[in-house]
Amino acid sequence: MATGGGQQERPTRPSSFSRVSSSSFSPASSSSTSTSLPPGVRIGANGAAFVSSGIPDLDRILGGGFLVGSVVMVMEDADAPHHLLLLRNFMSQGIVHGQSVLFAGPTKEPRSFLGTLPSPVVQKEGLKIKHDVSDVQDKEKGLRIAWQYKKYFGEQTAVDSHNRDKKQEFSSDFDLRKPLERQLLNSQNVECISTQDAFDLSKLQNHCLTFVSKLSMKDGINSNAGRIAIQSLCAPQCGYFEKDWDMLSFIRSLRATVQSSNAVAVITFPASVLSNSISKRWQHLADTLLSIRAIPDKDLAKLLTGYQDMLGFLHVHKVAQFNSQVPVILDASTYSLKLQKRKSLVLERLNQAPVEGSSGVSYATSGSCSSSKGSLLDF
Amino acid sequence: MAEGLIVRSLRDGSLPGEHAPALCLEDSLPSPLASHSHAVFRHLLTSLLSTGTGTAVVLVAFHRSPSFYLSLLSPTFHNSIRLLDCYSDPLAWKPNHHPPPPSHSPQNITLLTNLNHLPHFLSSILHLAKDLGAQGHERVTVAIDSVTHMLRHAPLPSVLQLLTNLRCHEKISSLFWLIHTDLHEPKVISSFEYISTMIASLQPIVQLPDYANANISASITSLEENYSKAKFNLRLKRRNGRVKLLCEELLIEQGSVKFSSVPSVSSVVAQNLIPKVQFNIQLSDKERMDRANVVLPFEHQGNGQNIEIYDGRRSLSESQNDPSSIKIGGLSEQKRSNNNKSEKGEIHYIRDSDDEQPDSDEDPDDDLDI
Repeated sequence: MATGGGQQERPTRPSSFSRVSSSSFSPASSSSTSTSLPPGVRIGANGAAFVSSGIPDLDRILGGGFLVGSVVMVMEDADAPHHLLLLRNFMSQGIVHGQSVLFAGPTKEPRSFLGTLPSPVVQKEGLKIKHDVSDVQDKEKGLRIAWQYKKYFGEQTAVDSHNRDKKQEFSSDFDLRKPLERQLLNSQNVECISTQDAFDLSKLQNHCLTFVSKLSMKDGINSNAGRIAIQSLCAPQCGYFEKDWDMLSFIRSLRATVQSSNAVAVITFPASVLSNSISKRWQHLADTLLSIRAIPDKDLAKLLTGYQDMLGFLHVHKVAQFNSQVPVILDASTYSLKLQKRKSLVLERLNQAPVEGSSGVSYATSGSCSSSKGSLLDF
Repeated sequence: MAEGLIVRSLRDGSLPGEHAPALCLEDSLPSPLASHSHAVFRHLLTSLLSTGTGTAVVLVAFHRSPSFYLSLLSPTFHNSIRLLDCYSDPLAWKPNHHPPPPSHSPQNITLLTNLNHLPHFLSSILHLAKDLGAQGHERVTVAIDSVTHMLRHAPLPSVLQLLTNLRCHEKISSLFWLIHTDLHEPKVISSFEYISTMIASLQPIVQLPDYANANISASITSLEENYSKAKFNLRLKRRNGRVKLLCEELLIEQGSVKFSSVPSVSSVVAQNLIPKVQFNIQLSDKERMDRANVVLPFEHQGNGQNIEIYDGRRSLSESQNDPSSIKIGGLSEQKRSNNNKSEKGEIHYIRDSDDEQPDSDEDPDDDLDI
């Protein structure tokens, strides 16, 4: 089956950014090739190329960001519009880095969605100056400087100081209250398509093909990465909604197109409107699978701390892996979406609320496998 | 309360830049109140019209004839309602049809026969809405008698497109419809729920028993209750992304509908939502300060005072009279109640025996001579 074939092909992805050799981590070779990487792309573990998702927390959870050449699927919740937050950050990050963006949405005017894209938070000046200082030093001291500044960046993979200001630009924090500047949106790199009136997906498929071929057309100069964002691909009001198999073959062809190119595709879809078997097929086609869950009001207040600030839950089902047979095992797969200071999106792990002092009983959950109402936790 | 929420939301309409609120009213066969959902529909219709003068309704009638609806309402409201008659002749069987001129209030009723052609349908609704708007009603609500009937004539994506277009249109301030869940696949029902902002469903109070095991005769008599009461579940999608769930009881008496709030049923907390929850071991700033203020049960606090640690043997009054001693809260069960939370944290230390010298248990290597 085509999905089986897709699985086998996964370890060897011929996208132009990634390198198969493992000697990429020695400072000499990485510095020579790091200048050839376009902005917004970073080489991570196993020589795979990543682009940022626009949310620094999500990049960290997924082990570096979205893999170039992968298809990310987000399962929407019918009750809450939080998938739009993910899409917005993803698209803004691409525009800020000057990457080409293709957006398809189920509305009559998809261009109006661009008006809601957030603009990046301005970096503080102090950190910027330290970067210049580190640049001036020569290579041998470069490693030592890197160690000193490690505490400003927390955990990260081995990146030398030469890449440090690139690291800061790799993923920016976005201020959701400020819209992105107009001139950035009007550049030729941003295309919008409406999927509402389409009776089949052939038009969208052609658009994606031309978009991806435009990416690789610039020879010699490093072609930039591209981002494809499709909102609510199986929205019920689209004309092709009843054609389940057509939608599946579209995704399959999109996957094949993106795999051999420098693009990342993010598709959101409301899984509840699809029948069970078709929904499972969609989920299998994803390289990275996330899902959004809405929070019922006041229901879980006893169980979790910081409940009032939470917008929703983000659940990570699958994480794409390249050049490695070792699967990604996460500490926790469910995170809460919060707005920090009402402007930037953060993902936090869920924390259990403190136990009631007098009663000594907490309403603890006992994992997804148990169906009982909760076990008593006795201290 | 649920009813109030619905009516208020439908009456208020949408904020600028938002789509209009849409209520999806679902009914199902197990509740033998398939007609009761229609009663709820009628009830909503009348309450919308009766609250305030600004609201007007365009009613698309599939299930009952328009005159039935007109007879429900008092004549004062006949001006604020326009009916789209899809009941009399949906398939255009009557030859050379033209709007029948009955003697009573024909002007609110518009006959529609070409139901296959949805754009025409949409434009007729909008035409009626504009009509009402011209009369001075600034809020127009569209009510569709039954979307199930619409789905007979047109495919699902086009019906949904129609509803979405109605929601986007600036003349329409809110929208509600009725759907029979048993007549459609679950996919169809979830698509309608997807595009609506409020979902109300009627369920029976007493469920049908499992015929294999249960004592049938006893439970069948309790099924009688279903004829007068039903459970009304409401799911509201809020603007901030939260979902509000309400469950109330519905009583049908003499053709009128009453909502009453049910005694709080313990809501099942969604266990499967939180597979792995950790404890937050980071301290907030306030907690850090409180920690610094805790008096530790050492013999010397470093401020020159001698500390007596209660070891359970001395009487209460003696230790109270000793002014130089600082009590370390070991008498809590006598002095304070358990629930008394003082500002500082407390550490209760009870010594093992009287023979030990103070500080002797601190450092066992003290007797080493190095």
